[in-house]
Amino acid sequence: MRKKTCLSMVKLVLYFFMMLTLSGCLGAREINDLEIVIGMGVDKGEGGQISLTAQIVNVSSSGGGPSSSGGGGEGKPFWNVSSKGDSIFEAVRQITHMTGNRLFISHNQAVIFGNDIAAEGLQKYLDFFLRAHEMRPTALILVAEDKASDVMDAKPETEKYPALNIAKLVETYGFTSHLYKVNMKDFASSLMSGTTAQIAPLLSIVKEEESEDIYVSGMVVFKDGKMVGKLNHDEARGLLWVLGKVESGVLDVSLPDGKGKAILEIMKAKGQVTPVMEDDKIAFQIKIKAETSLSEQTTTENLATNEMFEKIQEASAEIIHQEIMAAFDKSKEFNADIFGFGEMLHKKYSEQWKKIEKNWDEIYPTIQLNINAETKIIKTDLLKKPVSPKKEEK
Amino acid sequence: MSIEKGKISSQQLLFLIAGFVQGSALLIDFAVGITEHQTWMVIIAGLIITAPVVLSYVLLSKMFPGMNLIQINDMVYGPFLGKAVSLYYIFFFMMTLSFNVRDVGELYMTFLVEDMPFVFLLVVFAATCAYAATKGLEVLARISHLFVVSGLFVIISNFILLIDQMDFSNFLPLFELPFIRIFQGIHIMSVIPFGETVVFLMIMGCLNRTELAAKSTFFGLLIGAVSLLGVAVRNTAVLGKTQTIWTSTSFQSIRLINIGTVLTRMDFLVGIAQTVLVFLKCSIFFYVLSAALGQLFGLTSYLPLVLPIAGIEVIIAATVFQSPVDHAMITQNAGIIYSVPLIFIFPLLSIVIARIRGLPKPEGGKEA
Repeated sequence: MRKKTCLSMVKLVLYFFMMLTLSGCLGAREINDLEIVIGMGVDKGEGGQISLTAQIVNVSSSGGGPSSSGGGGEGKPFWNVSSKGDSIFEAVRQITHMTGNRLFISHNQAVIFGNDIAAEGLQKYLDFFLRAHEMRPTALILVAEDKASDVMDAKPETEKYPALNIAKLVETYGFTSHLYKVNMKDFASSLMSGTTAQIAPLLSIVKEEESEDIYVSGMVVFKDGKMVGKLNHDEARGLLWVLGKVESGVLDVSLPDGKGKAILEIMKAKGQVTPVMEDDKIAFQIKIKAETSLSEQTTTENLATNEMFEKIQEASAEIIHQEIMAAFDKSKEFNADIFGFGEMLHKKYSEQWKKIEKNWDEIYPTIQLNINAETKIIKTDLLKKPVSPKKEEK
Repeated sequence: MSIEKGKISSQQLLFLIAGFVQGSALLIDFAVGITEHQTWMVIIAGLIITAPVVLSYVLLSKMFPGMNLIQINDMVYGPFLGKAVSLYYIFFFMMTLSFNVRDVGELYMTFLVEDMPFVFLLVVFAATCAYAATKGLEVLARISHLFVVSGLFVIISNFILLIDQMDFSNFLPLFELPFIRIFQGIHIMSVIPFGETVVFLMIMGCLNRTELAAKSTFFGLLIGAVSLLGVAVRNTAVLGKTQTIWTSTSFQSIRLINIGTVLTRMDFLVGIAQTVLVFLKCSIFFYVLSAALGQLFGLTSYLPLVLPIAGIEVIIAATVFQSPVDHAMITQNAGIIYSVPLIFIFPLLSIVIARIRGLPKPEGGKEA
């Protein structure tokens, strides 16, 4: 009996000891010791070094508590801190000389590369962002028209943090389908394909008297990680039609009689690509189906008739056709397979692909696209006739 | 006389096997680098090749009712050669267990608790498994239901959460890789997740009824294989070409979950599920290893062996490999070679020899 009590006493002491020693504080990082990074910019510094800019949330000023009403004034909600290094990781650690804490990059939303880095090639700068265990593969990749640090400095009016604003600009690409969001994993995936060119949204700054605004001006095209050119909005959408990534957007259709325009909203779009290989000829059957709604018209004539619908649908299909061809022409100019046509051939004709893979750069400009775009107007929203003076109505 | 007195039902055997195979879910990464987008077919091929072999274990076990692997070896190969074969098995159990313990440590070090001392992780994990092993086979069998169901739940829920990011054209072209790589992949699959079920030769003797043993074993393997298939298909569909570059493909695909920017960072789900399943696998290994050693030394109970074995396992796990790269290289190349005779040859050989010698003798005595 006594032995039992003794044993349970020993156990009790042991439990107490374990409670103190095994409570899991090892490696703990308190929230006020974290430098929460929401965006990173990579530029080329002097002497070939990397200049890294990290946007850190200023926890004390962004709290929104009494301090914001107290008129503390200066407290910017974020802090852009830069450092230099021969590698990204070195630069990241160099920042601790300024922050006193290690960067916490788990909440990083976007990595922005400067123009000079993009021109040199992203491949060697990407490794750290894919390897670092705090980094998420869902972080977005973007390219700045000039310096990444400038883009991160431009403070938006409604959003507190430039980096979050930039991420939002890209995340909501679906409204226009003029750009596409590309994350770390997507970029790595197309980089590994060998023939597919990579794309990333391009950030530009519009300067107005006092304010600076950021906008996405198109897409950058990379070949083997090196920037080779840019796509404008229409060309970018041409690419998205083929990839089947168009979500919504505006089709501006000029009426055949030249009297005004019909403006369509894309409600739903589907793209299907089938590679066809006959002898040495390579063609791609591209089938686009889009459902639209009549969102606006600039003529007094009632467009909501079957005859007009047919004409508008035809004209809008032609616009899609043109956008796709514009994107294709641009890609031929860069000789960069942005559509991933090579990969499609690889998947369907794997045997033949082995023979042509090496010469894909020469073959790519010679391939043929057979585009079959169909649009359908499915609704006219709240009006069934335009507002127009009675006398003009026919 | 067998060292285990406990009895399990054939349904429990089913779940034990299923959980055991599921415990290897992250180990398919050893093959992914070799078989890329064809991993799913390698898993199926591995199952097709290994299933008859595993069913032969049931046959062997039925021929020697109530006996475990060590006793069978003694009877079939005689006391000396039998002990040598048993030692070979024990070596295999010991190494495989320590590799699995190390896997858990590496997983935690890379993804979850970076700053934790490696050995500490190993000690905690090994101690937990050892504790489970001391509770005996019946307890392990009872908890296996829960673990298998939770493992399936996590695999299915991850699959659904990632469905919007899946691109099934990643599986094309269907047949692309040279046969030698597929062969190597099949070899890895047939040894690591499926072939390791040879440990159940230590357990099958404890079945209370053997009529359904073959069916249970097969369905256990099938549930395990379907789980692995779910994981492999998800990884390939989500990650595509990049699946070969990540340290852990499963973790990487889970990190991509993003449902309305709210449901993100689900890594912990895989962390928990994986820990639970590897725990079951390692506990079974611990139990089998202790029981095998106890039987070999003629002990009446294996319990005194569990703690020393746990210590040895931690030491092996901590020291045998220099890095995860070393670990992967040795497992991919050497590990799957030395285990082949144990999985594919000895059990079949035992059946043949037992048939020829007319074993076991009706009296069941310890004849040499």
